[in-house]
Amino acid sequence: MATITQILEEKALEVKNFEFTYAGADAPSIKKLDMPIAKNSITALIGPSGCGKTTLLRSFNRIHDLYPGNKYEGEILFKDRNILTPKEDLINLRIKIGMIFQKPTAFPMSIYDNVAYGMRLQGIKNKTELEGRVEKALTDAAIWKEVKDRLKHDANGLSGGQQQRLCIARAIAVEPEVLLFDEPTSALDPISTAGIEELVVELKEKVSIIIVTHNMQQAARVSDYTGFMYLGELIELGRTEEMFVTPREKLTEEYITGKFG
Amino acid sequence: MTHTEKRILTNKIVMTLSTLSAMVGMTFLFWILGILVINGIDALNWTIFSEAGAPPGYEESGLKHALIGQLMIVGVATFAGVPLGILAGTYLSEYGQQSKLAETIRDISDIMMSAPSIVIGAFVYAIVVAPMGHFSGWAGSVALTIIMLPIILRTTDDMLQLVPSTLREAAFALGAPKYKVIMQVVYRGAKVGILTGVLLGVARVAGETAPLLFTSFNDNFLNTDMNQPMASLTVTMFNYATSPYEDWQKLGWAAAFILSMFILGLNIIARVFLMKKKGK
Repeated sequence: MATITQILEEKALEVKNFEFTYAGADAPSIKKLDMPIAKNSITALIGPSGCGKTTLLRSFNRIHDLYPGNKYEGEILFKDRNILTPKEDLINLRIKIGMIFQKPTAFPMSIYDNVAYGMRLQGIKNKTELEGRVEKALTDAAIWKEVKDRLKHDANGLSGGQQQRLCIARAIAVEPEVLLFDEPTSALDPISTAGIEELVVELKEKVSIIIVTHNMQQAARVSDYTGFMYLGELIELGRTEEMFVTPREKLTEEYITGKFG
Repeated sequence: MTHTEKRILTNKIVMTLSTLSAMVGMTFLFWILGILVINGIDALNWTIFSEAGAPPGYEESGLKHALIGQLMIVGVATFAGVPLGILAGTYLSEYGQQSKLAETIRDISDIMMSAPSIVIGAFVYAIVVAPMGHFSGWAGSVALTIIMLPIILRTTDDMLQLVPSTLREAAFALGAPKYKVIMQVVYRGAKVGILTGVLLGVARVAGETAPLLFTSFNDNFLNTDMNQPMASLTVTMFNYATSPYEDWQKLGWAAAFILSMFILGLNIIARVFLMKKKGK
């Protein structure tokens, strides 16, 4: 059984007895998993490749539904409601639970249109309101100064780090409650990585954050809680500073000291 | 001979052979283009664009009828074939994906792409010309649409599949419904590729003769009624070039020249687009 530290904060999400099976797979990729996610905190998911951390992350906004045949079981509670039911409104769910991907995913349109995209989807057409919120989102994503003179330029002209911050601006512009980061810095250089990490830490004032990372230093630097996953199970969830210093499970210790992974 | 000498010799032989082969191919290409340009420019003059066809021996004789007929037949085919092809390609890439139905459609359109165009002409003769009782411009457009369809469908399918799936996921993750993801994100990402496919599809059908012989047939005079037999550059070129009259043969050269330049132009534009896409 997993060792799960009691979470004192309010919970943003709660995973209960969750199983996930990919289309055509015989065995579930995530097995009977229980995990609370603290509100306005950063929870890092670590573990070796194939442990199911990205699979779990992609369940929170049900992006798995884009590919037919994937199967969820158990519950993920968001505002006391199970989001895994077939009648869940995925469009509203994804507005509330945003996602940042491994590689920057700037749309082939201008910087401004990228950030305005999510708001326009919600039917916001008022130009002044859009402009104000685009500026705010870009400022919050620490990229406003760099792009304010070229908002009409193609977003693909930005550097990788800038594009990733643009994607963060686009995600926070719709004011989500939870943000999911899927290895957001694995395609970036160290300086851009530091910038994104700083930004993630600032963002937790407004949103609850779950971040999947392969980089244990990153998990140690940014997160409040760390969950260690192995073979589709949550081995241990604890406060980051405790887990990296005094892990309670032998497997966790072996992983964070680099004995396997 | 040492091993190194042998290697250098083999290298030289292979290089010479491949260069020669390339030159043989290029020679014929430039030969054709050269003769076409020399004879075509010689035959070009203003009356070709201002006058319709006339019996042999008439001074005032041109290709206006064939140019207009060509534009109308190809234009209608493009108008029908482009949206159909793009929508069908969208179905394959975004909805059908790897399903059995989608794979079957892909196989069938690959077969259709290499089907002899004369067979498609005969097919349209049976389903359009025979029931109507006469040749018509419409029938010609139907035949060209059928030939164009698989080309546009497959390029659209391929180009849409090249758009990274993470881009789609990112749009879905912002709460976009599927049709908006396709229209606003996926199409934008693939627009250059799709446009290239459209241009190549139009260029392909613009040079077709055999299917038109069975469908729009020909008309030596100006006609803008799509319900009637209609002239096209290709069929006119065939008739004039094989006629015994020198002035008609000259018009045939002019038709060949105009048609080749049009198709060459479309291909060059398509290639420029592709280069721009790669350069990005």
